[in-house]
This record gives sequence, C-alpha cells and structure tokens, in this order.
Amino acid sequence: MLRASSEIANIPFDPRAITDPSIDPLLEGGRALIRFTDAAVGSDDPADARSLLVELLGSAAVVDAAAVVANFEMMNRVAEGTGMPVGKGTLARTEEWRTLIGLDRYRHD
Amino acid sequence: MTQFLQGVSVPVRPEIPTVFAREWLRLAAPGSAWDGRQRVEIAAAARASRHGASESGPFLPAVATSAAAMLGSKPGRATRIWAESVISTIGSTAYVELVGVVARASAVDSFHRSLGATEPTLPEPQAGEPTGEQDLAARPSAAWVPMVGGASIVQALSAVPSESEAQEDMHGPLYLTYGQMQDLQFVRGLARPQMELVAARTSALNECFY
Repeated sequence: MLRASSEIANIPFDPRAITDPSIDPLLEGGRALIRFTDAAVGSDDPADARSLLVELLGSAAVVDAAAVVANFEMMNRVAEGTGMPVGKGTLARTEEWRTLIGLDRYRHD
Repeated sequence: MTQFLQGVSVPVRPEIPTVFAREWLRLAAPGSAWDGRQRVEIAAAARASRHGASESGPFLPAVATSAAAMLGSKPGRATRIWAESVISTIGSTAYVELVGVVARASAVDSFHRSLGATEPTLPEPQAGEPTGEQDLAARPSAAWVPMVGGASIVQALSAVPSESEAQEDMHGPLYLTYGQMQDLQFVRGLARPQMELVAARTSALNECFY
C-alpha cells in the first residue's frame, strides 16, 4: 500500500525508513511521523513527538497518526494471532522491497 | 462515552469515541465462547502485559490469560506451535474470540496513550451465557484458525461473525473502510502515503511480517 500510494501520487519515498529510523523517508513530515509512531508503540512518553507533529502537520494529522497506529496495533495482533500467511503473488511483488528493508526477518514460515 | 479521550488536547473525529463506546459495550457482553466477565479479564490481561505487569482473574483459564498477555505485548512472537497448544486447550472458536478481544482493546488503549489520554476504565461485565455463535462454513485454512473462504486478513476472525464484524467496525474510523482502502489518493489529516508510512512502521515495530 505504501509503495502503491507513493507511486500513484508521484511522491518520492525511501522505504528503508520503515525499518531504519535514521533514514529520511522523504515524505512531508516523515521523520516526525516515524518519531511519533516509535513513541506511540514503544514505552517512551509520546508528548514531545506529538507536539512536534502538531507543529509540522497540524492537529488533524496527529489524530490520524494515532488512529493509524491504533488500527495497526489491532490488525498486527489479528494477523499474528491467526498466523495469517502472505499470498504468493504478494510475496513475488514485494520481494525487492522486502530485501531492501530486511522485512523477511519477521517471517514465521 | 465521557470516559473516552479524557485529557486529549486536540479535536478528535467524533466517529472515533463513538466506535470506542460500541467496542466497550461489545467487550462487556457475552461473546461466542466467553462470557462478559471472561472477555473483560482477557482485555485486562492484555493491558497489564503491555504495562509489563501481569493480571489474572477468577473466571478465565490460565492458558487464556497467558495467551491474552502474549498477544497483548508481544504479538510478533506468536508461532504456530504456540497457537496450536492454546487451541488444543480452549478450542479454535474461543481462541479466535480471544484474538479479536485483545486486538481491539489494544487499539483503544493505543489511541489513548498516543494522544496523552488516560486509558479508559474497562467496562463492567454484563451477565449472560456465551452465545455459542460460530459460522459453520468456516474451514481449516492456510492460517492457524478456521476461516470462511480463503485465508485473508479481512476473513481472519470469520469463524466468529460478531468478531469479524467488530474488527471491520473499528477499521473504518481508525484507518479506512475496506472499500476506502482501494483509494490510494485518500486524504484526511494525513495523505495516504503518510498513513501507510505510519502503518508500516507500526507493523515493523510489532515484528509483523503480514
């Protein structure tokens, strides 16, 4: 979805930022979004990251970011808890990206 | 609804506290295999584990408490062998329901924490026996639990229709409806690529390959 949405919007994006927060994802507010997500999912107080995101992108953006984190906290647990496999077609389409960002480390099979 | 989002300093889309209130009503009510007391204990065990603590109540079998804690704090550590062990004790319908309850309670807590709000008090359980609801069309799948149709994330909880419906109910207000997901140029507070960056980073932090 990330690759497709950035391609269709013709927005440059560096996918390595997904697994390496030292890399700039190149999206507007991208570093701040990564910082906010890390604080929201982790154990750090998200207050500073939240303030920075409001400053850069506005309050509606921080609400959306919190909501997306929440949704994927849900969906990750559904996927992991039910052992959801990734289809062969998706695996083939995403091989280059998975290799680039080291995503295969999370595979169970 | 007033217990939700206390202390939040930014305006929140009204559909979010509304769906949280619906979820708290669902959580407190009898489910397919668990009664209301057990469902609230599942959510409490998952919440405690995310805080690095443990909590067990009198109504839930130990294996279910342990499974809720595992999925609450370390979902990426789940394995087929682990899930099969849990399912062999509590059954696949109860396991599917447990996954759904943990997942949605985690979403509610996450949203509050992200916006600096106090996590809402868990609801008072409603009386009543489990409904026994299940979709008899669910069959063994490529995943670890039975599903209706092929294995896919939107069908993951389909063995228990009310759990699947609850997942879809939360998905729209928090992210996108299943229909909106096809719109790659969707813009709300964030543009779609920004939303997907947050989604992908969250999944990486949870060690979720899917």
